[in-house]
Amino acid sequence: MSESYSHIAELHRTLPAFSPYVPATALPYLAFFLLLGTFILGFYFTTLPKDTIPIREVSVASAASILAGFGVVSLFCSSGVNV
Amino acid sequence: MTRLWHWTQVLYLLSCLLSVSWATKGNILSFENTAIVRTVELGGSLVAVTTTYAIQAVTGDTSEYIVALSEAEHGVTSWIEATLKGSVDPLQLKPLGYKHDYAAHLYSITLPKVPVKGETTSLVLETVQTKATYPWPPSSPQGGEQLLKYESDLLVISPYVTSVQRTKVRGPASIRSFTTPEGLGAFTDEPTAVQAGSVVTYGPYKNIPASANPFFAEESQKRILIHYEFNEGVLTVVKLQRAAEISHWGSNLNIENQILLRNTGPTLKGHFSRLDHQFQGHYHSASAQSIRSVPMLLPAGINTPYYYDLIGNVSTSKFRPSRSGKSRTLQFSYLDLRPRYPLLGGWNYSFTLGWDAPLSDSAKWDAKTGRYIIGVPYWTPITGSYVEEAEVKIVLPEGATDVEVFPPFNPLTVNRTVHTSYLDTTGRPAIILTNTRITDRHTGVIYVTYKVPFTAHLKKPIAVAAATFSVFVLALAARRVDPRIHK
Repeated sequence: MSESYSHIAELHRTLPAFSPYVPATALPYLAFFLLLGTFILGFYFTTLPKDTIPIREVSVASAASILAGFGVVSLFCSSGVNV
Repeated sequence: MTRLWHWTQVLYLLSCLLSVSWATKGNILSFENTAIVRTVELGGSLVAVTTTYAIQAVTGDTSEYIVALSEAEHGVTSWIEATLKGSVDPLQLKPLGYKHDYAAHLYSITLPKVPVKGETTSLVLETVQTKATYPWPPSSPQGGEQLLKYESDLLVISPYVTSVQRTKVRGPASIRSFTTPEGLGAFTDEPTAVQAGSVVTYGPYKNIPASANPFFAEESQKRILIHYEFNEGVLTVVKLQRAAEISHWGSNLNIENQILLRNTGPTLKGHFSRLDHQFQGHYHSASAQSIRSVPMLLPAGINTPYYYDLIGNVSTSKFRPSRSGKSRTLQFSYLDLRPRYPLLGGWNYSFTLGWDAPLSDSAKWDAKTGRYIIGVPYWTPITGSYVEEAEVKIVLPEGATDVEVFPPFNPLTVNRTVHTSYLDTTGRPAIILTNTRITDRHTGVIYVTYKVPFTAHLKKPIAVAAATFSVFVLALAARRVDPRIHK
């Protein structure tokens, strides 16, 4: 190892603390609104006409999936399963 | 009385003078021990030995002072540290290994500067011994007394000449018996062992030649045995598996310990009576043989501690979180952990203890190098106890790269593996460190540095999004399938 233990310990003592991109206190609210959006878009998806080229369906499905992705991760963290 | 030297010993000492077997500038004439005082604090699982060396530089040409531990003493020594008397900063201590010429394990201590000829210094060598005591008698009925035996070499060996040395053995309670060594007329004319209360003093022994050699070990060294009473539980952690999981999304550090405890005091003779156990708790002082609770100091700022065993959640414990305040560095959370059943001699108990803590308390961000530095304590010490086998696993976030580990002391093994958990796709890098005989003085922190690119943080949401999109694709296809039966 190129650095010594004492150097790393000193760095750890002086550097700023870790700060998440999304504050942990905001995760429950984020989970609620993102998953609400997912379910709304999912319902809307079921009402869309069946086009030959399903551009609208794919767009709505993509948006719902992205909301679901972040919503589920936020839900897991809010529930105590810190992923 | 001057000791007569055997001609073979003279030849041996001459060979030591000519050889530089420990590869330093010095030799056995570089220093002289003007006084050595060893204090042995007897405990249950652990014995603390403090040896103070008053040394004088004879030649003034080296700053390396050599201490020697016999094979037996080295075998029970789990922690060793050297400081100057009055200082808290440890000196550089380097193990040189077993040297056959000296019949001892040698350690090199580097003094802050090269002492001038005639200069005196005081060194303090602290060691913690494990597996140095054993219960005697080996079994005891419930409520019976708990007695332990401790064996050790009488004389502190050194590659240098020693003017005078003494050993004090301090017991926590009464000392039932102790060895009175014979055949030490070469070093003393006074009684060899004197007891005052719970302290036995051996010595003073004067004009001891360089004693780290096979001749001295065979002809002059004696063994002492102390039989003493110990009024607290003798607790050993047989196995500890600690897992520290870092979550950037949850800004959380989860630490989970799987612990196997054993009462290594005298084994229970006869059956266990719950009635007698209850009476002891209410009407008499609790027997030392029965361990009812294990106090632990957990880190400050932790939340949601959990404690369960094979049967399920264990509710018989009390947790007091640390006080909130600006500085939490010196505060602890207190846990009075109570096993599901009292631990009698020879009994085991395995359980899981874990907690969550804010990641900001342990992890730091180095903007200059773009890396995170996390500090994970090696273990949560249980006072007076040690760990026979310890395994610490640090699970980093998925996608972590450039991982470097900085352990506080040399581990037995360091392995890197991949840990798969919730919502993982490629898995999380994990580092596993193992060690043996970790005492309550091994309170160091393992530092790990790593980098996590921004795109790595998106792995989990993208994985869930992909799974959800596949459901939508299935729905899209299902909508276009007509399952009706047509004429």
